[in-house]
Amino acid sequence: MGNPILSDDGVGLLVAGRLAERQLPAGVEVAVSEVAGLRLLELVRGFTRVIIIDALKSPAETGRVPGEVIRYEAKDFKGGHRYGSAHSIGLDTALEVGRQVGYEMPGEVIVFAIEAEDVETFGEQLTPAVAAAADRVAEMVLAEVRA
Amino acid sequence: MKKVTVDPITRLEGHGKIEIFVDDADKVQNVYFQIPELRGFERFCVGRPVEELARITPRICGVCPEAHHMAATKAIDNVFGVEVAPAGRKLRELLYNTFYVTDHTTHFYILAGPDFIMGPESDPAARNILGVIGKVGLETAGAMIKLRAEAAEVISMIGGKQIHPVCGLPGGVSQAITAEQRDRIVEVTAAQVEFARFTLKLFDDVVLANSDYVDLIKSDAFTHETYYMGMVDENNKVNFYDGKIRVVGPDGAEHEKFDGSDYLAHIAEHVEPYSYLVYPYLKSVGWKGFVDGKDSGVYRASPLSRLNASDGMATPLAQAEYERFYDTLGGKPVHATLATHWARLVELLYAAERAHELATDPEIIDPDVRTIPTRIVGEGVGVVEAPRGTLYHHYKTDDQGIVTGVNLIVGTTNNNAAISMSLKKAAEGILTGGHEISEGKLNMIEMAFRAYDPCFGCATHTLPGDMPLEVTIRSEATRDVIASLKRNM
Repeated sequence: MGNPILSDDGVGLLVAGRLAERQLPAGVEVAVSEVAGLRLLELVRGFTRVIIIDALKSPAETGRVPGEVIRYEAKDFKGGHRYGSAHSIGLDTALEVGRQVGYEMPGEVIVFAIEAEDVETFGEQLTPAVAAAADRVAEMVLAEVRA
Repeated sequence: MKKVTVDPITRLEGHGKIEIFVDDADKVQNVYFQIPELRGFERFCVGRPVEELARITPRICGVCPEAHHMAATKAIDNVFGVEVAPAGRKLRELLYNTFYVTDHTTHFYILAGPDFIMGPESDPAARNILGVIGKVGLETAGAMIKLRAEAAEVISMIGGKQIHPVCGLPGGVSQAITAEQRDRIVEVTAAQVEFARFTLKLFDDVVLANSDYVDLIKSDAFTHETYYMGMVDENNKVNFYDGKIRVVGPDGAEHEKFDGSDYLAHIAEHVEPYSYLVYPYLKSVGWKGFVDGKDSGVYRASPLSRLNASDGMATPLAQAEYERFYDTLGGKPVHATLATHWARLVELLYAAERAHELATDPEIIDPDVRTIPTRIVGEGVGVVEAPRGTLYHHYKTDDQGIVTGVNLIVGTTNNNAAISMSLKKAAEGILTGGHEISEGKLNMIEMAFRAYDPCFGCATHTLPGDMPLEVTIRSEATRDVIASLKRNM
């Protein structure tokens, strides 16, 4: 997931590109999404496992550095499904709505978040530390899907 | 003076922020609505072939890429000075109305639904989409999700891609649809008309039948008397895709009507030192501050504004709902911000009816979908009604069609002043003494904000996280926290 014209926000798309070039086990598909929320529902429907790769901007007090990779599971994102704007609808809500209406939803959702330096400047270039993380994350994802 | 912060950190990096300053007697002094700046958009676009902007600008927003694609495509038509082929124009409008059906449906069930179907001060644990599903039933929820999937299918047929359409080219669209595709679209849009009618009925049964809700909608805390902007066709009926921009005054009378290309003669921008986001206002009236009334150039551009700025809807079922809307709420114009939710449903029905009308138009399968441009004018404005307000794209190019300048007014920006005013008034009406800010009160303030469904010109993805909303009252003198409430919604 990401935005290809918002600097480090494009890192998820870069990783997807790397993965698409690799030999993947049968049944594994690479998809890119530049949008989130309910629009993800159709994308993940019918898969048993989903791995999401996205940029993350953590608060300064966490001390995280650009390029750092954090592995989350869907349960780390449990929210309350209440939003101020259509822009904020989260994955957890999308998954839960899918389950409620009887869609076959993935049993396992993993998120690889890559700490970004800049997600607020329009540009197609990533900052060096974040770009360097792309290959590392691709390997982590491959290890995950082969496990 | 003390400070109350409402901080909806909806992505982990955070975005919108609402700051409410209260004095020692807890009287609201001021409210600031701030969003972070995305930098360098114009610089990013300059030097590129102008046709690329129809694929770049949709990436500004993860919720309404279709609106940016349409405004950009129309601006590019004008840069090339080309008449759009009739079938191409109809396909664009069909795609666009289908997008509206999805967007308005989602807003109602997920954003407005929890407040009105569950209740603004109901148990927060159930005041969400899942509570709504529990109440309206799985059949309705399933129909809503199916509608979204089918709308995406139609957008993908016409747009070439499901999420970011790529069909818009100067002079028309890139491909025609087949008779088989048309048949499917006719079927889908017919179902959408029925779903829109069902949703209006639900609004009747759940919201209008409850006098507490009607009183809340009409209450002074959620009322502003402003100018209203909206796009209208030649009969002054609401149109999302094309027409003239009409502005009516707080008294409902037409104030001005202009071509989108003349927007700079009618809209000026006020700047405040604390916000990078400008406050557009009507040039002919002038900026008088964050105030209501005929002498203040503040205008709104929203579903409610579009209804107020028009003389009706161009489709029969939506027209009947339009009449009922004004009959119920005491005539035109309606100033109640929360009535925006009902207005949105009237528009939903129009969008579905209009899409169905276009799908059944024999010309919709005409293979001649594009006029090839033969010249470059070098400047063009494209305007559409985005779900969240009038959207202006303005491009300048050199004689080769390479971009030299870009200016956008996005839907939410139109409403920037009104959103701040609405938050202030809601806070004044709701924070009436005592530092105890209940979750329900906080939600009521947020309702003022939610009616506009503000778009933050956002980066398109949302890394899933919990959704805290934080209200803090601080002593202005010591900055100490006097009271705070944090909820994971």
